[in-house]
Amino acid sequence: MLCLFKNKKWAIGLVFCVVSLLTINQAAAEVSIVVHPSNSSSFDKSTIKRIFLGKSKSFSNGRTAILLSVSPKDPATEEFNKKVIGKSSNQVNAYWSKMIFTGKGTPPQEMISTSEIISAISANPDAIGYMDASAVTDAVKVIATF
Amino acid sequence: MKTYILIVITLILTFSLPATADIKFSGYGSIIAGKTLGTVDDPLNPGQTRDETLTADFYDVGQYTNDITFNAESIFALQAVMDLNNDFKVTAQLVAKGVDDFEPEFDWYYLTYQATNNLTLMAGRRNIPMYYFSEYSEVGYAYPWMRPPSNLYWWQVTQFNGVQAMYNFDWGDYSNTFTFFYGNEYSDDNVEMLYYDKLYGGNAQTVNEYWTDIAGVNWNISGDNFDVRFVYFQNDRDRETIQQDGSIDDYTPFSQTFLGFGGSVDIQQLTVLFDWNFVEYDDARGTEFPTYLVSLVYNFGDYQPYISYSKADHERTKTASATEDLEEHYIMGYGLRYNFLPNASLKIQYDHFVDQGHKESGWAYHGDSDTISIGVDFIF
Repeated sequence: MLCLFKNKKWAIGLVFCVVSLLTINQAAAEVSIVVHPSNSSSFDKSTIKRIFLGKSKSFSNGRTAILLSVSPKDPATEEFNKKVIGKSSNQVNAYWSKMIFTGKGTPPQEMISTSEIISAISANPDAIGYMDASAVTDAVKVIATF
Repeated sequence: MKTYILIVITLILTFSLPATADIKFSGYGSIIAGKTLGTVDDPLNPGQTRDETLTADFYDVGQYTNDITFNAESIFALQAVMDLNNDFKVTAQLVAKGVDDFEPEFDWYYLTYQATNNLTLMAGRRNIPMYYFSEYSEVGYAYPWMRPPSNLYWWQVTQFNGVQAMYNFDWGDYSNTFTFFYGNEYSDDNVEMLYYDKLYGGNAQTVNEYWTDIAGVNWNISGDNFDVRFVYFQNDRDRETIQQDGSIDDYTPFSQTFLGFGGSVDIQQLTVLFDWNFVEYDDARGTEFPTYLVSLVYNFGDYQPYISYSKADHERTKTASATEDLEEHYIMGYGLRYNFLPNASLKIQYDHFVDQGHKESGWAYHGDSDTISIGVDFIF
């Protein structure tokens, strides 16, 4: 990235460059969907979407899926909703409010941090979650990155 | 009121005690203020004017007139879900509405048994899955408008006690749910029916409305960009209008069928919501109620401007009494939803209600109205 600015305009230029960097970083942020290393079920985007909306309750290996999510404030949630679910976070929240208050579904369990998701998934063969792609460790298996 | 508060406190204390069961609390609510903007010739008292009146909630008779009120639609609901074990859970929803002076009632109270990954059985008190939005018609956060168009959601019975079996299966990339339901509703002291009695100059003590043997099916299909639902049910109807002297008006029971197809389709930034319904009585007059709604919502970041058109009609088809000069009206609604927080939205809506009912026979009893309402919906 080139940041060329002169004299008095340096401050504006700096702000512009920082904003550009942040924007570029955000645009480049990828979200990984992760499961226990032993889970050999088949996944495609549509399967992942249905599992995370509670429409499919089990993996192709027949086991009941346990859904985990990072906090709604984590940028990975917005990325996941946008790229995988194909909706804004508000639309996803509206969907879950309809499911919760008619007793037809339970949203993913919110975990406090990415590391907590990793430890929960590495300890449970039926858990599935998502996180910022850069936070993934060997303790979990990445089934897709968007 | 005190009794209810005691019940709530007892519940909270009970739920707070250490127990083996896992209990989760959540809830939803709306705080909505509104008013109508003008006056209208009183359709039932020709020559007299009265405030324009919009019935925003038929079941509870929540209405807007020229005086700003928070009571017509404001609502608070607390849900407790208690996992008894992996397969059994109990759900209770305590709902307090402005129209009932916020006296809480258990509107939902049911047991869920997850028989298999695909089969869910429920037993207890729930909303009847009639219109597409019926089951969550009070969860304002779940849809774009202030309320599902009230000139369609006008029935005097919305809940029932019964059983429900939900079967989920995939069909290619489409998710399907078949829901079979059966139940009864003995609605003693029905608010809406007593309101009509008084509106037409009656002086009944109370009206009891009975919907029995409610039996039907929902078929829900959803794909990447759509969610649609087909509904069919039938039930028996009976009514007791009890006069001041204790006498009960004559009433001929009949049965009704309810048919509907509704849903939502996403086309890029646009969401199309629709619902078409047809209610038919097997009474001597061949009563029919065709109704439909179409709404467009534009999803623009945190803003969702929308328009909606909803139309309701009432006809009699049997030769001897055939007529279309009965109740008929439409609402043209315009509004904006602004999602100012991840769990709360601000809405403003303008409703233009046009009464096309037959004036001479008293069926144009709503009268035209223009209404403005502003509210916040939230979930927790």
